[in-house]
Amino acid sequence: MDEKMREELLKLFQSKLNQAMKFYLETCSRCGVCTKACHVHESMPRVKYIAAYRAEIVRRIYKKYFKAQGKLWSSAGESKELTEMALQELYEAAYSCTGCRRCMVYCPFGIDTQMIMSIAKLLLVGASAEPEILTMLADMSIEKGKSVEIFKEGFLTGIKNLEADVVKRWKAEAGDTVIPVNTEGADLLYVALAGAHSIVPAAAVFNAAGENWTLSFFEAVNFGAFVGDPSRTKLILERIISEAKRLKVKEVCICECGTAFRVMKQLSGKQPFKVSSITEVHARYIREGRIKLDKSKFKESITYHDPCQIARNGGVIDEPRYILEHLTNDFRDMSPEPKYNYCCGGGGGLVALGEDTLDFRMKSAKVKADQVKATGAGMLVTACENCHTQLSDLNDHYEMNVDVRFLSSMVADALVRK
Amino acid sequence: MLVIALTRREASVQAFYYFVLIPMVYVAFAVFILGTVFQLVKMFGEKKHPTTLQIFPEKKPAWLWALHDTFLLPTVRRHNPLLWVFLMLFHVAFLLLIIGHLELFAKFSLFQVVAHDVFLGGGYVGIILSVALLFFLFRRFVSPYRDLSVPEDYYLLILLFLTVLFGSQMDWARRWYDYSSMTVDDYRTYLMSLISLKPAVPPGVDGAGHSFMLVLHIFFANVFLIFFPFSKIMHSFLALPMNKLRRG
Repeated sequence: MDEKMREELLKLFQSKLNQAMKFYLETCSRCGVCTKACHVHESMPRVKYIAAYRAEIVRRIYKKYFKAQGKLWSSAGESKELTEMALQELYEAAYSCTGCRRCMVYCPFGIDTQMIMSIAKLLLVGASAEPEILTMLADMSIEKGKSVEIFKEGFLTGIKNLEADVVKRWKAEAGDTVIPVNTEGADLLYVALAGAHSIVPAAAVFNAAGENWTLSFFEAVNFGAFVGDPSRTKLILERIISEAKRLKVKEVCICECGTAFRVMKQLSGKQPFKVSSITEVHARYIREGRIKLDKSKFKESITYHDPCQIARNGGVIDEPRYILEHLTNDFRDMSPEPKYNYCCGGGGGLVALGEDTLDFRMKSAKVKADQVKATGAGMLVTACENCHTQLSDLNDHYEMNVDVRFLSSMVADALVRK
Repeated sequence: MLVIALTRREASVQAFYYFVLIPMVYVAFAVFILGTVFQLVKMFGEKKHPTTLQIFPEKKPAWLWALHDTFLLPTVRRHNPLLWVFLMLFHVAFLLLIIGHLELFAKFSLFQVVAHDVFLGGGYVGIILSVALLFFLFRRFVSPYRDLSVPEDYYLLILLFLTVLFGSQMDWARRWYDYSSMTVDDYRTYLMSLISLKPAVPPGVDGAGHSFMLVLHIFFANVFLIFFPFSKIMHSFLALPMNKLRRG
């Protein structure tokens, strides 16, 4: 790595050093309480998978270039130069961390390893050493935001084709639009993923609840966040925010996508609309009596996987359980409790990387498979696209013999007339 | 010849005693106070993180739970109970010793609510601290803590251990010699002279048989104070704001 490159990368590093980040980088006492926090370490007990060790890889570079100790007495903290080798270590640390923040529950100080890993991810982007596919996907999303008109036609045709499926689940009142798009003055903007499974059941439930809603042009997922690129993350987010403002909606409802929910809920800043997850919205409909569910629809025992970004990091913990109370008499919560729920092993962009990460994803999530098996449930429900894909892969790999389902589609399947 | 050599050694020892007891103390406190203030001002001056960093489920009021997390270490209690016992003993003992040292400066009626001799605990506090430090040190020799540790972690523990070892055994050592030497009043004279910027070492302090222990105690404490602002011991100040971030 030449001097110019290093300087560029250190500038990127510097840009991440806000107050919280400095606290996190200065404070770790390497007490090792986080040893048992990481699902990767619990599945494959190697030192490099301990949260504190991952963070220390970034911290050593911090000490070298940004801390007096590293400059005066480099060996005391084993500070480290930023080299090609260091980049490789950063890659391994950052892309074996799913950003689930379970370690934050263990740390006596509450150090956020995901945030420290965001430095590693940004340096990799700066060095063009990040997984290219994530950047490509992010750029595609951004491109789509810039030239909506080109995509509009195809999108609308696609949506029209889904309407019959929606009606099959819920027959709307005559004259109502089945999937409203671009409706100014709608109460709720629903941001889905590209794929019928993310749109059809949601539309059926909105219509059943008599919601004044409209579907977003854009897909919710934020690949910019996966790859740890703040400017791309913001551009992708901006598309939806400006659409919501243009349509003057009161609420933006994010589909079953953990990253999208956390980014919209916590990164969008103060906006004139409320941000909800579809799980929260469904729970609200049930509570207000706007929809009614048939409890006899699902015969099997059910367990629920808390998506990290929605539960531990987004605060949506009671709502899915409330919904499931209306779907089954045999709900079996996982142990330990939601705060300690293991990551599915697919977060942080690992699922989006597909086959490349499959082997690691399976090995690193053994504890998750064990946690699911221990419930003895026949149905494994979740509310996140990433988790769903990963859990389905785990189901095959570990022969868990469970039916992996989306919570929202179960709600749609169990809809009954009031 | 021998007599001259001995006197020379005496003189160099005396010079070393003087250096540790006066100039080095000033330097140590200057580095400690200025360094810590500088680091904190710099860190708290950085812009705040734009979003929340809290985790759920949440409990209100967040500041109260942040205090709870900071001072009672509930996560350590749950995940490493043995470490928790030693951490609590260590931190409480450390606090008691800070109080003990303050009482060497002057009488504080606040601390004498529970009447006691200076130092409180009769040497046992120091022993608890030493044992805790040895526990912290030896656990770092075992995997995975060994792999997580960097030299700083060992240096700090060894420094503190040496400081506490010589400090806490002073009272005991005093019994070997004349128990009337190096009394609380001698310490007060010495410490007040430092504070009033008219530094002097009273003969009671550097002339006793076990003065070397005091000098070593102060020497290691000085080194520790100088290291403090540049080390992970800054967690003393950062633990609370960090726990507040987690609690939202």
